[in-house]
Amino acid sequence: MPRSAFLDLARPSRRHWLGYLLLAPAVLLIALIIVYPLFVSVDLSFQNVNIARLDQPRRPFTTANYERLFASEDFWNACWVTFKLVTIVSFFCFLLGLGTALLVNNRFKGQALARLLVALPWAIPEVIAVVIFAWLFDSSFGLMNWLFIKVGLVDQTINWFSSPDAAFAVVCTVMVWKGYPFVSIMMLAGLQSIPEDFYNAAKVDGARAWQRLIHITIPSLMPVIGVTLVLVMLWVFRDFSIIYVLTGGGPLKATQSLSIMTYEQAFGFFKMGYASAIGVITLIVCVIASRLMIARAPDNI
Amino acid sequence: MAGIRIDSVTKSYGGLTVLKAFSLDIADGEFVVLVGPSGCGKSTMLKILAGLEEASSGTIAIGERDVTDLAPGDRDIAMVFQNYALYPHLTVARNMGFGLKMRGTDAAEIDRRVNEAAKILGIGHLLERRPRALSGGQRQRVALGRAIVREPQAFLMDEPLSNLDAKLRVHTRAEISALHKRLRVTTIYVTHDQTEAMTMADRIVIMKDGVIQQIASPDVMFREPANLFVAGFIGSPGMNFLKTKAQAVGGGVTAKLFGHDVKLPIANAAALAGREIVVGLRPEHIAAGAGQVSFTVTPRLIESLGSEQYVYVDLPEEHRRDAGSGGEDESRRTSLIARLINPEPRPPEATLTLSFDPARLHVFDAASGEAIR
Repeated sequence: MPRSAFLDLARPSRRHWLGYLLLAPAVLLIALIIVYPLFVSVDLSFQNVNIARLDQPRRPFTTANYERLFASEDFWNACWVTFKLVTIVSFFCFLLGLGTALLVNNRFKGQALARLLVALPWAIPEVIAVVIFAWLFDSSFGLMNWLFIKVGLVDQTINWFSSPDAAFAVVCTVMVWKGYPFVSIMMLAGLQSIPEDFYNAAKVDGARAWQRLIHITIPSLMPVIGVTLVLVMLWVFRDFSIIYVLTGGGPLKATQSLSIMTYEQAFGFFKMGYASAIGVITLIVCVIASRLMIARAPDNI
Repeated sequence: MAGIRIDSVTKSYGGLTVLKAFSLDIADGEFVVLVGPSGCGKSTMLKILAGLEEASSGTIAIGERDVTDLAPGDRDIAMVFQNYALYPHLTVARNMGFGLKMRGTDAAEIDRRVNEAAKILGIGHLLERRPRALSGGQRQRVALGRAIVREPQAFLMDEPLSNLDAKLRVHTRAEISALHKRLRVTTIYVTHDQTEAMTMADRIVIMKDGVIQQIASPDVMFREPANLFVAGFIGSPGMNFLKTKAQAVGGGVTAKLFGHDVKLPIANAAALAGREIVVGLRPEHIAAGAGQVSFTVTPRLIESLGSEQYVYVDLPEEHRRDAGSGGEDESRRTSLIARLINPEPRPPEATLTLSFDPARLHVFDAASGEAIR
């Protein structure tokens, strides 16, 4: 049956239409729920707005939000907290993730079960995990205090959520616990794409296990490591629920990251213009950081 | 450089035995090819020799040193892999120097040896490139180079030519042979290609189902195959097999072939009379035109390669072996191939007279497949 030349998407000259057609719903959705709010938020950050309403008339253009932001001690504190979180959590996620991936990449009895266990924290909803951890670290009847005292690390209970350092440590612990399975799964996928013969060749060349890890495994994983670290970093940057449920940003703003500060300004103090300015700064920092990390990963495979 | 002594090495995975009592003495500087169909255990043997797999029993000595339970890196051997296994993140030079670096050789010495090896292989201009920027043939050379710079006791090569196209394969084959003549390093080479085995080897070890079938030089292997398997494997196209019965006549033995009573070239005639035998005849030993034993056939198919012709003829029913014997495909069982050198062009449908010299016949026991001489 002859088809209309215009509608026949199977023709070579029309083939790319089908691609655009299939992409359209997703693009529209993203435009609606991500791109549009993004522009609104950039727009808001240059206005003195308290509660944003779309039917409000535009306020005059001002950079007051940014001036206030850069002069604010809270902002720099949040930046410092976020930086510490990103560095510490990414580092330990990477260490634990690669370690567990190397472990479960070996062939042994119960390998499937071990892989499941490694991935398990990832499958638990964030808020539920955080509530469980909040109980574990409870200062009066938490498991951790009991354990620390039994082992002899401390001689009296630690008040986890009222000491700034302890609270920060707890937030890091929960984030690492929640984040490392993702790294592990990515690394495992990467490890399985390394041909066995690389290792055989290295063994014949006399490389010891440690040398094989440094000279074969890590370089072969570099592309995966780069992408994974960026994703983990962005996750830590934007993660809200773990900190909010665990500490709410306290004590003494010790765990107030940029995302918590944004939320607090927007929905706690209803300074949406100011909050938008924090959001825009966070976005810029994220874009620059991920660009740097992707560019640093050598494109060797 | 050193000789290698492999003494009754076996390998089994659970109940599955893939290597049965493999024993082989390799002289210093010898080029030995392990050949056989896939699954015959040749690659397993090479991996055991390299130390990448553990032998279930038996011992291996390189030089005078027992290496049976030594790590691959401590055996002082170099290996060339089928897919070359070049590290993609390192340049050619650093790929080649990797083994030396792992052994703590100093940088100047590594440089010197890498450059020397690169000169031998003609890859000096590629040293700063990454493997992915190289063609298949160049990668192959780099893999060889990586083995050479180590100056090991022995080279192990695991089907190093199978990823190259046909023309390059022939070329590289000659190069590896030349390299071996120049360096005189003991080499163990694994392949499934009988042509590679025939052209490169000082000695061929032919294997099937984990058992050595015959160890001999290429010429001996071709002229005096130990059994039906070896006879069918070596040579291209493979030997023709005709089932028949031996009859004692006077002092000798004859067999009925294409209606003629043909005298068989056998010394020990008496024991053979009346037994089922398989007579082997190489395709290149069949000539066009009348000869000592002539027969007339109608070819089923004639393939012409210009310089030679393969004439496919249906075997008479009485000469066909039982299905499943010997393990080769059905068409080889039911047809006879004649390889005619410098043939005249001939119409495919015409009848054709072929002949052979009975002295060229090989005789095998039908039941055991062993050669009878």
